[in-house]
Amino acid sequence: MHSAPEPVLRDDVDATAGIDLPDRRITSGDLLFVLILIPIGLYFLRPDWFQGAALQAWSTVFVAVCLQALPFLVIGVLLSAAITAFVPASFFERALPARPGLAVPVAGAAGAVLPGCECASVPVAGSLIRRGVAPAAALAFLLSAPAINPIVVVATVVAFPDEPMMAVGRFIASLLVALVMGWLWAAFGQPSWLRLPQRVAGSSGAGRGTIFVTTAQHDFAHAGGFLVVGGLTAATLNVVVPRAWLDTVAESAVLSVLVMALLAVILAICSEADAFVAASLTSFSLTSRLVFLVVGPVVDVKLIALQSGTFGPRFAVRFAPATLVVAVCCALAVGWVLL
Amino acid sequence: MERLTQNLLLVLLGGITLRVALTDAHLAYVQAGFRPFLIFAGAVLLVLGSIGTVRDWPLRQSDHEAEPDDPAPGASGHVDHGHGPPRIGLFLVLPVAVLLLIAPPALGAYTADRQAQAIAIPESLQNSALRLGPDDDGADYRSMPLLEYAMYALADDTFTLEDRSVRLQGFVLPRPDGGWSVARIRISCCAADAVPVTVVVDGDRGPLQADQWVEIIGTWAPPVAHPDGDYPEPVIVPRSVTPIPPPASPYEG
Repeated sequence: MHSAPEPVLRDDVDATAGIDLPDRRITSGDLLFVLILIPIGLYFLRPDWFQGAALQAWSTVFVAVCLQALPFLVIGVLLSAAITAFVPASFFERALPARPGLAVPVAGAAGAVLPGCECASVPVAGSLIRRGVAPAAALAFLLSAPAINPIVVVATVVAFPDEPMMAVGRFIASLLVALVMGWLWAAFGQPSWLRLPQRVAGSSGAGRGTIFVTTAQHDFAHAGGFLVVGGLTAATLNVVVPRAWLDTVAESAVLSVLVMALLAVILAICSEADAFVAASLTSFSLTSRLVFLVVGPVVDVKLIALQSGTFGPRFAVRFAPATLVVAVCCALAVGWVLL
Repeated sequence: MERLTQNLLLVLLGGITLRVALTDAHLAYVQAGFRPFLIFAGAVLLVLGSIGTVRDWPLRQSDHEAEPDDPAPGASGHVDHGHGPPRIGLFLVLPVAVLLLIAPPALGAYTADRQAQAIAIPESLQNSALRLGPDDDGADYRSMPLLEYAMYALADDTFTLEDRSVRLQGFVLPRPDGGWSVARIRISCCAADAVPVTVVVDGDRGPLQADQWVEIIGTWAPPVAHPDGDYPEPVIVPRSVTPIPPPASPYEG
């Protein structure tokens, strides 16, 4: 058992920076213990720190963002775990056209059926490539799945009850981004930019139920962690940035588009929850909010981190900026036509 | 991190989510209709984490001596460091800690003051008939949400409010010019999209503190301009101001 995965392991250490040394003494259990102990200690030593109005407002927004996205995340993770456990690898080879140029639109449209958020689609796209799917097609799927799936579309409709074209515009623009990026990769992408860590997952011998449960646990811890980071950023921005400042920015057409694109990248809100945040930014134009909704699921700080972890830094440093430019252009074009 | 840590985190998060969902606590964060989804998510996490915890508990004691026929991927301590649970998952402890230690209350005067903005009347209300309904049963006033009162009070034609009393509920919000308002936070989905609705109270605040919930029965007066924003704010002249306990559902949906 130990001898077989050895070379694979070394490969992975190369691809992923900052991996633990095998004989580390401090375990994550200890770290968790300390992490829990620090706030509890502060709670008794400095109770007044927990009473300030700003901190309480911050905590309320932070908890609200986390709770709001949690059920969507759980559904997405359960589904991607089910695909990992119960859909055979050969299925994808049969389902997708052999030519990457043709596989891109098929994979992009297939994104509509994976009700996950962007955190869930990165590992799925990674395993698609490992299963022999053309990278261009897997990347089109990676970009389209978090933006055009039914949960996101319904959430967008619910968040913009007076603006039905918002959900339509988001669907079209996001699909467009996925197709353009897929074809760009098919035309210019270099295989050497991709560095996929091999998965040791000993699916041989493991029951499907076990794979399902362990995948769901793992993916939730992964995506949930990034969700919390997004919640921290969103709550901080919500409490720190004065509404008046946003209102000033919103008055300029060009500036508002740029700021909304930037907000989408740094807020890193799950695609299943971002429509509600966009809806609350009422002073911004509809087009700039469409930019926010199209950019958010394809480029943000947590996605860039996830992508460099899954596909390697050489990939992320090229893919993310290109996607950002394509996403802003697609959203502006669709917004100009529809809104 | 280790799988046991990961699974304990799932148990903690699932448990606290269930607790928040099954009590009224969730009403401070999300819409009431979201409760079934929270219960579902909490239950799934609790089950996933419990399965993992029960299964991994003995493995931890044998640590690096993974059984040769162990089916779980990455179960041996050696492989765990490369392919074990993601360390970013440790962040999951934060919402748990915040909920347990701070138990953040519903947004109130702090947020209403910072996010003060002109009241936007939703389209769904704009088209409704601009005529006030009858008084409450057995009373000489009509109860209404702050937003509805604001819509009538800011309308071009306010004839329907003349000679009528209304009853409003909200929290005390001191104004920059020394006066005070009664305020309510509206959310469309969760507390991240909070938008305040305020009605200026044309009367003495007395000993009332910010965030104290009050019930006001009073009559209409012409709108005044907000001291900072220069947009019109609705006004009520109180006949009575009564402190009340905070409602279970603090937001106007």
